[in-house]
Amino acid sequence: MEIMHKLASHLKTRLVELNRAKQQGRKIVGYTPGGYLPEELILASGAIPICLIRGGDHSVVELTGAYLCRWIDTFCRAQIGYAVSGDDPYYSIVDLLAIPITDNHIRAISDITDHSTDIEVFPFGVPHMKEESTFSYYLHGITRLKAKLEALTGTEITKPKLREAISLCNRERELFREISLMRKSGPVPISSRDFVALNHASFLADKEVMVEILESLYKELKGRIALPDGHPRILLTGSTLAMGDSRVLDLIDEAGGEVVIEEFAEGIRPYWENVNPDGDLMKALAECYFMQRVPPAWFRPGNERRDFLIKLAKDFNVDGVIWYQLMYRESYKTESYYFPDKLKRDTGLRMLTVESDYDPSEMGPLRTRIETFIETIRGKRHG
Amino acid sequence: MANYYDELLKICGFEDGEIKKEKLRIDKTFERLELGPEDMKTAEEWVRQNHDVELAGVRKLLRAWLKELLDMVLAKDEGKKIIYYGFPTIQGPGMAIKAAAPEELYVACPDVVLCHTLGQIFNKLTPVLEAGEENGLPPGHGLCTLQTIRVGGLAKGIIPVPDLVTGSSYYCDMGSKTDELLHEKYGHRAVYVDGSMDSRWGEYPEYLPQRVEFLGGQLNKLFEAVREVVGVEVTSAAWDKAMSISRHLFHSIGQLTQLAMADPMPISSVEVGLALQLSAGSTGKAITEGPEAIDILCQEVKQRIDRGIGVVEKGAPRVIDFAASFSDPSITHMMENAGLAVAATLLSAPPPKSIQPTTYTTPGEIRAEREMQSGIYHSSFGFAQRFVDAVKDLGLDGVIWGYQYNCRPMAEASHLIKEWVAESAGVPVLSLEMDIYDSRSYSAAALRTRVEAFAETLRVRKAVAKV
Ligand code: SF4
Repeated sequence: MEIMHKLASHLKTRLVELNRAKQQGRKIVGYTPGGYLPEELILASGAIPICLIRGGDHSVVELTGAYLCRWIDTFCRAQIGYAVSGDDPYYSIVDLLAIPITDNHIRAISDITDHSTDIEVFPFGVPHMKEESTFSYYLHGITRLKAKLEALTGTEITKPKLREAISLCNRERELFREISLMRKSGPVPISSRDFVALNHASFLADKEVMVEILESLYKELKGRIALPDGHPRILLTGSTLAMGDSRVLDLIDEAGGEVVIEEFAEGIRPYWENVNPDGDLMKALAECYFMQRVPPAWFRPGNERRDFLIKLAKDFNVDGVIWYQLMYRESYKTESYYFPDKLKRDTGLRMLTVESDYDPSEMGPLRTRIETFIETIRGKRHG
Repeated sequence: MANYYDELLKICGFEDGEIKKEKLRIDKTFERLELGPEDMKTAEEWVRQNHDVELAGVRKLLRAWLKELLDMVLAKDEGKKIIYYGFPTIQGPGMAIKAAAPEELYVACPDVVLCHTLGQIFNKLTPVLEAGEENGLPPGHGLCTLQTIRVGGLAKGIIPVPDLVTGSSYYCDMGSKTDELLHEKYGHRAVYVDGSMDSRWGEYPEYLPQRVEFLGGQLNKLFEAVREVVGVEVTSAAWDKAMSISRHLFHSIGQLTQLAMADPMPISSVEVGLALQLSAGSTGKAITEGPEAIDILCQEVKQRIDRGIGVVEKGAPRVIDFAASFSDPSITHMMENAGLAVAATLLSAPPPKSIQPTTYTTPGEIRAEREMQSGIYHSSFGFAQRFVDAVKDLGLDGVIWGYQYNCRPMAEASHLIKEWVAESAGVPVLSLEMDIYDSRSYSAAALRTRVEAFAETLRVRKAVAKV
């Protein structure tokens, strides 16, 4: 697709652009993925948001041995690796690293980066349940972030500026939603690989450029007639699908499966809800980013997400679920034990759980397990 | 007629009359625990080897733990409503809940009870751990072994299914996710006491008041759930009663931990751990049996101090460890055999000096404020700082940072804490990856070489400093 090339060339020059913007006095605010950081605040402050979403590289994970033990989530260790390496272009460029603290794995990024690098860190808490008091705490956290951004940039985040940023981000979410929904049934007009690439790009790209690209793509896809392919339809879910961690998608592809919907807390931006642009905008941000969105597995209880997965499985007419988790993310591991029963009960579908530590040596067993799973569901379909 | 368990129970401080009186309960409990005559022989040897049973206070502590075990296993049969809390932070509210209806409720941390009984007394935790691994928490993934014991205990029918569970949802994910797993299986209600550990590295002892208000509100919410689920009202009066009845217990523990710091170290850290964890894992026997047992132990320890008796040599390097193993006393003994006086653990160290009188009024907020001030639940930096303060306050020679590898709040700062404490306290720190609940892979033998080398370093350092 022509538009994907346009996106690729934008990303190619993005670092140069960011450096230029920085030289001109713009602040660059990095943040960790998870979907709890309202980018609108960064945009409204005049700073540039970049989400630190890269992963998949075992050698970076290995750099962290001197900083922490191995029992922390692979993606989070990778982030620590990038941060402490001192020469990572993204971690080197940020003026502030905002970290919504969701669990102890993310807390590791905050503590180690704070202690062991010169990067300024701003952590704020994300509670683990949806209640009035947890909402207030989250709202308090993003209000502190707003003040921090204003101090960093010297720019007041006014209501009009914030509304403008909300409108831009809402459009981005809408477009992701519309494009995603095109895969609900029948042949899919866009591959999961491209959809995930768009998501990843949206974490780094200039927001206006990104929205333009999505608009063009949406129009292009609407006019496109996709051919039926008959591949088993897969729901791919898990904790983190980082930029650069494409092995599972590749293997599903090679095995003849078609991922038609993805659900990841880290790596896919929450695009199902929009921020209400009226009334108290800070509250509206907290409503959308904390209360309305489907939470990750580290929420308690985690049934909202599990129910959502069932709904996605039905709505997107899938033939099987692949649960891809990174090593040592205990909330996902624990849920992966009891979710398959519910899935089977509610949909009759099977689930395959695969894990990774970004270690190249996992490739062989991973391939075999995915191939066998796809074969089994293909057999079931035809049987 | 003699029972196959008489000898063990006597070693553990039971008297004949008491064994007779409790016979039916003991028989039923041991049957459910699959403990037979062979197990008693193992246990007798294990207890003699690992506990200082010449001290009446230690025997009484072992007895208190065993009685807690009976109460727990039989709680449902005996018509109690059952509430479990997660270790360790919900212990204060647990005491208040128990104080509100002592006869009707069984309130405890069941996994901690199993560690201190099936582990410390019977050396038979493996089947429970295996059952936990088969029922949702498989090995090899760094899942919390304390929770594995809970899952295994329930799966084996040793731990009765509770009416309500609660845990600190802000400190780790494992407790809450395990509660959720168990809820899926057994259907009981779980109350998650949430909060957020979002302070920056270096921020302790400062914290945002919102953290206290949030966590405090969550703790207050727990009492509402208790009223709904088990029909017991936890009033301020119940809270005050809990505080007053536990005052004696905590006073005695404070005295014991002070005495244990004498040179030569008069008592093993294993026995101090038995006392300390009784107050954390139990709200029943901790109150009814704990104070007397610990008072007796204090008397005996004082006598040892007067006579200059120690379990390690006088002048041995004095260290603080994170915590004594909950289930395997041989690990702490290995450290002591290496010539180290484990004079304190992070849990027994004196409270921070910065604690101010509270200005909060609700029980939840008062407790939450204490959590912030204590450091451990404030942040990893607060945790590290507690080690630093303890080293300085107690004049220690080194630190064993025996971090629980599968406990993410510890794992995330495994290396930072070592670095910070070594730098700030100016003493050597041994960072030791451990499992204080499950010693199958982290046994005394596996850890010995590093501990011995560390002990040697400390001895040399001490000798050089003297010159
Ligand atoms: S992971 Fe750590 S804090 Fe959580 S239940 Fe286990 S030991 Fe306790």
